[in-house]
Amino acid sequence: MAHYNFDTEVNAKKHFITAMEVKYGKEWGSNKQADDIQATTAKYLRLGTAQNPRKMEMAKIGAEITKKRGLQAYDPLLHLAGIPLGQRQLTPYTLGGTDIVCDGDDLHYVNNAAMQQEWDDIRRTCVVGLDLAHETLEKRLGKEVTPESINYYLEVLNHAMPGAAIVQEHMVETHPAMVDDCYVKVFTGDDALKDELDPQFVIDVDKMFRPDHAAQIKASMGKASFQAVHIPTVVSRTADGGQTSRWMAMQVGMSFISAYHMCAGEAAVADLAFTAKHAGLIEMSEMLPARRARGPNEPGGLSFGHMCDIVQTSRKFRDDPCKIALETCAAAMMLYDQIWLGGYMSGGVGFTMYATAAYTNNTVDDNLYADTEHGWDTFGTSIGNCKEPTIDIIRDIGTWGALYGLELYENYPTALEDHFGGSQRATVISTATGAACAITTGNSNAGLSAWYLSMYLHKEAHGRLGFFGYDLQDQCGATNVFSYQSDEGLLAEMRGANYPNYAMNVGHQGGYTTVCTGGYTGRGDGFAINPLVKTCFADDLMNFDFVEVRECFGKGALREYDRCAGERAFVIPAK
Amino acid sequence: MAYKPQYYAGNTIVAQNRRNHMSNNVQKVREISDEDLTACLGHRAPGSDYPSTHPPLAEMGEPDCPIRQIVTPTAGTAAGDRVRYVQWADSMYNAPAVPYWRSYHAAMNHRGVDPGTLSGRQVVEARERDMEAVAKEQMETDMTCPGLAGLRGATVHGHSCRLQEDGVMFDMIDRRRLEGDVIIQDKDQVGVPLDRKVNLGKPMTTAEANKKTTFYRVGNVAYRDDPEAIEWCQKVWELRTIYGYQPK
Repeated sequence: MAHYNFDTEVNAKKHFITAMEVKYGKEWGSNKQADDIQATTAKYLRLGTAQNPRKMEMAKIGAEITKKRGLQAYDPLLHLAGIPLGQRQLTPYTLGGTDIVCDGDDLHYVNNAAMQQEWDDIRRTCVVGLDLAHETLEKRLGKEVTPESINYYLEVLNHAMPGAAIVQEHMVETHPAMVDDCYVKVFTGDDALKDELDPQFVIDVDKMFRPDHAAQIKASMGKASFQAVHIPTVVSRTADGGQTSRWMAMQVGMSFISAYHMCAGEAAVADLAFTAKHAGLIEMSEMLPARRARGPNEPGGLSFGHMCDIVQTSRKFRDDPCKIALETCAAAMMLYDQIWLGGYMSGGVGFTMYATAAYTNNTVDDNLYADTEHGWDTFGTSIGNCKEPTIDIIRDIGTWGALYGLELYENYPTALEDHFGGSQRATVISTATGAACAITTGNSNAGLSAWYLSMYLHKEAHGRLGFFGYDLQDQCGATNVFSYQSDEGLLAEMRGANYPNYAMNVGHQGGYTTVCTGGYTGRGDGFAINPLVKTCFADDLMNFDFVEVRECFGKGALREYDRCAGERAFVIPAK
Repeated sequence: MAYKPQYYAGNTIVAQNRRNHMSNNVQKVREISDEDLTACLGHRAPGSDYPSTHPPLAEMGEPDCPIRQIVTPTAGTAAGDRVRYVQWADSMYNAPAVPYWRSYHAAMNHRGVDPGTLSGRQVVEARERDMEAVAKEQMETDMTCPGLAGLRGATVHGHSCRLQEDGVMFDMIDRRRLEGDVIIQDKDQVGVPLDRKVNLGKPMTTAEANKKTTFYRVGNVAYRDDPEAIEWCQKVWELRTIYGYQPK
């Protein structure tokens, strides 16, 4: 499978058209599709689910389940009292930036192991400072902390973190085959310390990042050192995101006791525990208010800035800010829409349709490359050479991007049909417009402002936008976009899924994340808001590929993704 | 009123049509009987009484209050009608109406209505006979082309789909179709079959639809070709942004 590095508006347009031709110009299954992608009429053959092999597979297995358990299961003819899906052509999706083509069903997170692993890998991760613990060991207990002692501690910790005993006798332990995705590495801005540590444990900032980004990240973290902890997927799936730091802190505490020959019950242990659980802890996401009833490391508390930094495309594609934004867009759309709003908050299956519009068929891609080239050409900007945002600049890019996006749908009726809901179209156009403005200005809030102008123009031009609730935040967002007053506004990177107005509406949160990505990539920076999060995920041992997000989703759709964790096959009867 | 309200900016036919919808300057172009209207809506049997949720207000002995003194109940409210809905899907291929303008039309020209605006559909909820007055007006006037718009309570998919080869908007459950030179409807809003074929009249020709539409699009009136409408929208955005910012 290939993936594309578009680089330019022209290449993006070419691949958008190819995706439309694959979707509407070729048969998929037996859907008899062979249409001109710019025609305004089509034949509606009403072939039903029989046109689509995946639907037929689902129907066959649904019937088998019904027979086996003696209770009704999936049957496509139960749709609308006998009118099945497929009254129009059931068309495939090209994963953006790749040549992977798949069925829409295979992009539902339940059917896609890679999507699940993306969220698993975020939820099971936390960062823990080492320096506070070392101060406790040295100043309070008089222990000597050396590179050798740190290496030994990390050996112990990588034995213990998956759930192994390290101090007591006659303990049960987790089986290594069940928890092989769990490990701990360290990273630091202290080159002397890094050189002394066993390389197996180190995320080497100088190796994982481009020199300018590495220098920026190391300068930001100083001489401090941190642990990147990933607890077992099966653990965080069984409990919740709040389990991540608790599990980590227990194993960190026990490993210090063992590695530094401490008394298991002495009061200093409490200092180490407090450090691991609170003082030195960086969760991926904040705990939500009680009314949301979610612990930390659940998606509702994940800030857009952290989401930007979790995605790693910027390490390998620094000179293509659109590519970085598009991969981030996919990761964030999937997580915030399909899993957070679609799973945690609302339930139901429709949310996949919102998200896929943003990472399939190269439509956002085409918009974003065109909008960015307009911004760069008009204002003479480039990566690291941004123009301070003004109302005039935002008005220009916001208007240009909105009109370009609207006319794309008007010129390509198949694209309009692909994004059959206004919420999909509104997100696509505003995401591209907002991100392009952020890339040009290096300012995410300016990008948000262009987003809101784009929404206004879209609603006026087509006389429609999304649905009631979708439109609300876009009608009032302009009034808080530059406010930093509490409960009114915030730096865009620090806003998140639970930010006022953003909390309940599909299609927006991944787009806002994409806009934030435009800010830091436009400036040419190595991270969006948190160098520790960026570095923590700069690790090829992670199960999910946070560099090539869409390709990873595609492998999941094709049932070729083989980096799953948390599987129970080892402890259940073989089928 | 000493002045004539200017409801919407723009110098094109699309902008003028939008002003027409807002000010109810619409033309009656077809006749829909009350029984056919009731059948299409599907809320009650044609010819039957309006079901009610409470006795007529006049019989309820309501307390005296200033609001009741200044607000005359609508006919449906006075009779105690249920709240029911009419919901439209309008094609993006130059249907005369668009969702926001259906809502503006209802809210600016009718009392007691609760419009809801989405991308693929637009709903008005009101006391049943009040809702029927809105629905009848929208069905009978040039706000609606029966080929490019449809009554759809559920399964509304189609507003953004390419048109069928006969120029009619796609409907998954085929509630209405072209027969001869007119559109007939034989299922109600939610697709329950009717005992009749309701004649909704002739669909507009492409040229007629292009003149009647409130939808900006390339190939007819592109949004970028109506700079006054764009500049007004930009001004709203700028003022809201600066007001919210208030750098003091």
